[in-house]
Amino acid sequence: MGDIILTMKDIDKSFPGVHALDHVNFEVKKGEVHALMGENGAGKSTLMKVLTGIYTKDSGSIVYEGKEVEFHNTRDAQDAGIVIVHQELNMLGHLTVAQNIFIGREFKKGIRIDDKKMNEEAEKLFKKLNIDIDPTEMMGNLTVGKQQMCEIAKAISHEAKVIIFDEPSAALTEAEIEELFKIIRDLRKQQLGIVYISHRMDEIKVITDRVTVMRDGTYVGTLITNDCTKDDIINMMVGRVIYEDPKTESSVAKDAPIVLKVENLNAGKMVQDVSFELRKGEILGFSGLMGAGRTETARAIFGADPKTGGTITINGKKVEINSPEDAVKCGIGYLSEDRKRYGIVVQKSVAENSTMATMENFVKGLFINKKAENKAAQDYVDSLATKTPSVDQLVVNLSGGNQQKVVIAKWLIRNCDILIFDEPTRGIDVGAKNEIYKLMNRLAEEGKSIIMISSEMTEILRMSDRIVVMCEGRKTGEIDISEASQEIIMNMATREI
Amino acid sequence: MEKIKQNPIVKKIGINRIVLCGVLILMYAIFCMLSPKFAGIQRIMSALNYAYFLGFLSLGVTFVIATGGIDFSIGPVMFCSALVSGYCLTKYGVPLVLSLLISVLVGCLFGVFNGYFVAYWTVPPFIISMASMNIAKGLASVFTKTQSVSWPQSVDANGWYRNFVKMGNFPVGLVIFLVFAVICSIILNQTKAGRYILSLGSNKEAVRLSGVNVKKWEMLAYIICGILVGIAAIFYVAAYTTVQPGYGDSYNNEAIAGCVMGGTSMAGGLASISGTVIGVFIIALLQEGILAIGFSKDYQLIITGIIVIVAVYTDVATRRRKN
Amino acid sequence: MGKSVGNAPAEKKKSIFSGAGSQKIIVLLVVIVLFAFFSIFSANFRRYTTVLSIMDYSYYIALMAIGVTFPLITGGVDLSIGTGLICYSLAGGYLVIHCGWPTWAGMLVSVLFGILIGTLNGALVSLMSLPPFLATLCTCMMTRGLGSICSNNFGISWPTSGTEGSWFRDIFKITIGDTKYPLGFLWVLLLVLLMSFVLNHTKIGRYTIAIGSNKEATILSGINVKFYHIMAYVISGLFAGLASIAYSAVFSTVQPGTGAGFELEAIGGAIIGGVSASGGVGSVTGSLLGVFVICLLKTGLPYIGLQANWQQIITGMVLIGAVMVDILKKKRAEAV
Repeated sequence: MGDIILTMKDIDKSFPGVHALDHVNFEVKKGEVHALMGENGAGKSTLMKVLTGIYTKDSGSIVYEGKEVEFHNTRDAQDAGIVIVHQELNMLGHLTVAQNIFIGREFKKGIRIDDKKMNEEAEKLFKKLNIDIDPTEMMGNLTVGKQQMCEIAKAISHEAKVIIFDEPSAALTEAEIEELFKIIRDLRKQQLGIVYISHRMDEIKVITDRVTVMRDGTYVGTLITNDCTKDDIINMMVGRVIYEDPKTESSVAKDAPIVLKVENLNAGKMVQDVSFELRKGEILGFSGLMGAGRTETARAIFGADPKTGGTITINGKKVEINSPEDAVKCGIGYLSEDRKRYGIVVQKSVAENSTMATMENFVKGLFINKKAENKAAQDYVDSLATKTPSVDQLVVNLSGGNQQKVVIAKWLIRNCDILIFDEPTRGIDVGAKNEIYKLMNRLAEEGKSIIMISSEMTEILRMSDRIVVMCEGRKTGEIDISEASQEIIMNMATREI
Repeated sequence: MEKIKQNPIVKKIGINRIVLCGVLILMYAIFCMLSPKFAGIQRIMSALNYAYFLGFLSLGVTFVIATGGIDFSIGPVMFCSALVSGYCLTKYGVPLVLSLLISVLVGCLFGVFNGYFVAYWTVPPFIISMASMNIAKGLASVFTKTQSVSWPQSVDANGWYRNFVKMGNFPVGLVIFLVFAVICSIILNQTKAGRYILSLGSNKEAVRLSGVNVKKWEMLAYIICGILVGIAAIFYVAAYTTVQPGYGDSYNNEAIAGCVMGGTSMAGGLASISGTVIGVFIIALLQEGILAIGFSKDYQLIITGIIVIVAVYTDVATRRRKN
Repeated sequence: MGKSVGNAPAEKKKSIFSGAGSQKIIVLLVVIVLFAFFSIFSANFRRYTTVLSIMDYSYYIALMAIGVTFPLITGGVDLSIGTGLICYSLAGGYLVIHCGWPTWAGMLVSVLFGILIGTLNGALVSLMSLPPFLATLCTCMMTRGLGSICSNNFGISWPTSGTEGSWFRDIFKITIGDTKYPLGFLWVLLLVLLMSFVLNHTKIGRYTIAIGSNKEATILSGINVKFYHIMAYVISGLFAGLASIAYSAVFSTVQPGTGAGFELEAIGGAIIGGVSASGGVGSVTGSLLGVFVICLLKTGLPYIGLQANWQQIITGMVLIGAVMVDILKKKRAEAV
């Protein structure tokens, strides 16, 4: 390890209602791989976005190569030598690898683009990185892993001095990860500074030199990787005080009937052999880190995405669910994590959104019975305490929490017995959060069964009767609330070393 | 300005529609000034004749645009309907009532065709429009052996269908058209079908995740459009009797213009039948006025094009500002 | 299990990203089979004059198809080329016939007019973010109106063979001795080669494909997307202008109010030739081959006793078929 190339000091950043970064410190040395860890929403991405000029910091300083700098966009940062290799790739599938690497700065011979030279240069880059990719291959034909290598090559061709890898291994196969690590080691040898963001504990141990842990927008500490254990890191990640009382024991009787039984569910790479049971009146928490496959599991159960195998049994009867239409008929309701895209129809009113899944109950002859519709919507506006001037209000004008309540009302009007709540409190302020929690408890008491997917540990511990933990598309644990703790869950949610 | 916007009556009718009505009246005044003969009943009746069939086209395409799609095969399909049914009537001796039904049926079949490929195959609507536009033209030409068809005149035995347009000087067509507009408005705003069509135009995935069979409803929008196009064909022949194969393109743009001018968004999810009705009257008056002041139909094509561009750009810009 | 799955989709993806080549061969085979079919079933079809007439029909469609390939690859479309062609020809012809301009000047006006409308289309789509089909549908109608206005609503006859200023007709069909030669095919081929070069080896072409592939990523790569997006439509307009010259030369008489439907033949040809309706994929040579499928149908069908109008119906069907193949390919690539 060499000199310090980048220092971020006392970085502070607030968004309306959120203190995203609270005086965070971070530094990278030449020739080191520095892991940046933390739970979802700990502020890792925000910190990196501040660094590369996507966000402007409120206060603090960034010193890069001995000079204080401030980048205004990614291009500035790129020109200075700081490059991000994104999780979502910015690739052009219909162009070749070399054409992608040099897009926007093609070599030219007169008016002709010199593809030959670009191929040669790309070849040289790949040789330097010891990657075996044909520069003339179409980008779209490569595996995600190879595409990632190309992104790295592109970063290097910008003469990068600091490369940030944002969860690079999420979509890679075992062999590809090996290859990636080889490249990272090479880069380390060439005295580049590398920031490695990942949830995978085993990788952290293998590839990184130091680990910086963040929690809830604050800097927790930095450790030398070789001197610490997985438990040390987990303790730093989760070591927060839980203000709200966690549930201490399940409120569901041991012999409550099983309403939903999922066996060996498979759907693509993100859902592999998932099995679990849901009892009447239970809140089943689904915990796991980003990309663990929880949303994918929910969507597969709900029929929103095709599944490749597995059986679903509802109230003892095997059911065939191939579309959301089927799922709704079986009494399942799904509250998506992405309200705007999958939950609400913004240009429609509260009433119209509330009855979206139950139209047939509000049709009298040929026409919609608006009176009955408004009454039903009003009933739920009252009982969920949705803040809206009237049921005719367009949902686009409501706050996040109230939009969420409208979506909940949609499924309650449908009288669904099984509710899947995917990140029900994301983007909702604290007061509204508590209301949603109360509501969920009430629903469970009334005999509804709820699957709650959540990335917030406090939420999981506060709400669940039982917890299923997923990691990389598989169920890695199941635990009763009476035995659960942050450490145990985090241990299940990360891979063994 | 803000004050006017907040006025409850203005709010109820919609500022957009009030402005459109203003434009309509202003246009009429200008044309009257430019051409003294314009003020007479004759011109108005003639403009109305044009407004009927165009109105039905526009009502139809409103449903399709509400889903976020487009159909610019409507003009040629209308001609195809009129030609096929007219040929049946005049050459094969099919009874008039049946011929009229055939006309609606042909339109409906094209609607099924377009809707099926758009909803179940996800073929881009503009490709389907282009294809069925040519299929309609080809079919009409093949069916009629490239000859024009003359529907019966008022005095002929089968001429009573022309009463759909007017009886004496009473504009029956206007009544029928407005009745249909009200029906369309009811379908769009007060039935399950309309609710789903508008909602899926706004956010298809959210509607699908509510357990709704979105493909079915999307296809239905194209079928409704097809049926209205078939009816438009009846009003076209009732007004003009003669139809020639190979034409009809220019009505696409005029129908779409009436629709987007009335406040229906090309992005889908927002549609106004009353706006479409006023929009259609503006286009019809424009067509009549341009002819009256001595210009050819060609200027109409250009002006309509500009109207569509301005109307759609206004919508695009408004949405961009909101985001 | 996860590991083995990781590689599988990549294998399948090949079919969509590098399928353009194989599609070209299939289309070429279709052209040959169609030609053989008509030749077998109609003795009259097996004549040199038929070949000449196929060529005559192919020029303007092929030129339009070359141009429209560019907006199609960006993921857009240009519906104004058909009526545009007639409009440009009328405008140029009017100046030659009624204003006494030399033929070359009239031709130049045709081409410039095409570029102008192309620029307008590009501006509407790129700068004003209008949906391409809508913007060009409007200019389609506007050019139709303009064409009639330019020519006072009368047909225009460009100089016929043997009269003064008719030299330009020889560009496309030259008579040497007693035989006529389809010289135009040579020019079309040269232009296909040129535009193939532009598409594959210049910035304009490269960024055209990039925009169709992933517009956001192209913007993020720091490319002036607005400019290159406009250029695709300018090329389309330019070639509609060139097509108008071919049309004037071959048919000499141009009627206002016609031209609607030509765009389907060109766009249909391009899509049959492997241009994806969702953008990013396509080749100029493929488009040319696709055009010949359509021209063969157009000229061949009457020989086997079907009205020429059947060609419209069949072209429409073939277009939908070609798009469905494209959609199926993509679905298969996406399915794991």
